[in-house]
Amino acid sequence: MDISDQRIDELLNSYIDGELDAGQQTEAEQLIAHDEKIAQRLRQLQKCKILLGSLPIDEAPAEILENVKASLAGSTRIDEQTLIFDQQIGTRYLLVRKVLSAAAMIALAAVLSAVIYPILAPQTVPEGPVAVEDGRLPEEVDVTAPRASVVVASRFSGRLELKTSARASVDAFIKRAIADNGLSDSITQTHRQDRRIYSLSCSREDLSLLLAEIGYIWPRLDKATLFVDTEIFGQQVAIEAVTTEQITEIVNQNNDQKYIDLARDFAVLNDMTERLPGREILSAIEGGSYSLAPQWLVPKPILTGKREAIRKSAGQGRDKEKVRLTIVVD
Amino acid sequence: MTEAANMDIRQQQDSNGRISIDDTVLIEQYRHGDSDALERLIIKYQNRIYNVILKICADPNDAAELTQETFVKIIENLSKFEGRSSFYTWAFRIAVNLTLNYCQRTAKLSLRSLDAEDEQHDSQTRRVLKDFLSDDSSPDPVAVAQNKELYEIAVKALMKLDDAQRTVIVLRDIEGMNYARIAEVLKIQLGTVRSRLSRARSKLRDIMEAI
Repeated sequence: MDISDQRIDELLNSYIDGELDAGQQTEAEQLIAHDEKIAQRLRQLQKCKILLGSLPIDEAPAEILENVKASLAGSTRIDEQTLIFDQQIGTRYLLVRKVLSAAAMIALAAVLSAVIYPILAPQTVPEGPVAVEDGRLPEEVDVTAPRASVVVASRFSGRLELKTSARASVDAFIKRAIADNGLSDSITQTHRQDRRIYSLSCSREDLSLLLAEIGYIWPRLDKATLFVDTEIFGQQVAIEAVTTEQITEIVNQNNDQKYIDLARDFAVLNDMTERLPGREILSAIEGGSYSLAPQWLVPKPILTGKREAIRKSAGQGRDKEKVRLTIVVD
Repeated sequence: MTEAANMDIRQQQDSNGRISIDDTVLIEQYRHGDSDALERLIIKYQNRIYNVILKICADPNDAAELTQETFVKIIENLSKFEGRSSFYTWAFRIAVNLTLNYCQRTAKLSLRSLDAEDEQHDSQTRRVLKDFLSDDSSPDPVAVAQNKELYEIAVKALMKLDDAQRTVIVLRDIEGMNYARIAEVLKIQLGTVRSRLSRARSKLRDIMEAI
């Protein structure tokens, strides 16, 4: 098609669409009236337009309105929390005392676990028989030292299982957080039965930013468990009631063995915290009672110009070692 | 009824300004705390936005998700909406941008490769298409509307166009926007709309002839 044909096509299309001024309209009508080829071309173009225009209109799924509301619930909830915080400032001092008590208990538990765990944790012993000479172990065999040779994990890899009764809004919130952090390219989303699965492979920095953002949905969760892959294939460390801060701390360990050790420590610590006598106070503060919890949730930070800078630094780290985390929302 | 008069009624509503006025009222009501106004706004546009997105991205699940995302984005940015363009234009700009970005990112347009699917057109469908294309008389919109076999071919042919051409043709022939509004939605020159639409229709015809 040469330039003249293209121009005629444009003229005819604009004629069909009623987009010509009076002069162009006359020009088009004369061309159509005096040239049968052009008249035929006009009919061809009209057919295309009519065919597409007669395609049936597809109706949007009925649940769109509800899903939009659920998506928005995540962001408006934070505003509501700020409002509640202002309105109920009188209860603040009482809660401060409870929080301090809880913090003291957690600190105590941490100290206890640091003391007890090395005692209770199974010692690593060499496999197979060990040659003993004169009743002494050979000097090069250290029964208390962990076997460095079994560490084969090269980077953090784990699965975060979130159970919630508000799946739609939690799911929507996570999706938004992924988009906000520019991680859509690093994530594969799949549906399996009623579960939503996000498989993430990104830098530590990116994962930390994402975790910081999705931390706001924690009060909506019934259960959060992190399964950390260990050096032994098929064996994982399960951390019940895990927090985003704990995950971030684990992920940010540079040494491969360190993150597994830290995961084990957190697993013990969280388990002990669950069994502590003051648990009812903790649960009242951390989400067992929604009348108390929202006041102590940190409001979502307001985006400012500095966010861009943070994102850039995260982006720069993207090429570094990648970590893998699968988030399962159930 | 002339072709110009046969334009989508929705287009006429636009030119009469009825949609814009209603939208402005609904937006103001929402800004004053009336959440029902927001629901009405969503209900009013959800089918049209979904329909346009679906015709561009071809996947009903993706289209539903993108429609939802479009409304979330609209609502989140409603406070910044200054009314320089109409709400209708603004909303469709968001929808189209989200859809094109999503399609590029996820390469969901694999449907464009129709080589295998072409085999599925039976002789009856091919005959209907051939008759439709070779018939030299003026097209009858009523007869076309009854020809269900042609729909499937039209949608597949549409998916063979590149993103830009498909978008402009969907906005014009399916959503019924005029050239000026398409230019506003896509933020391109009026002349570009004209030439792009012309090339798109020409290519669409070639694609259908090749089937």
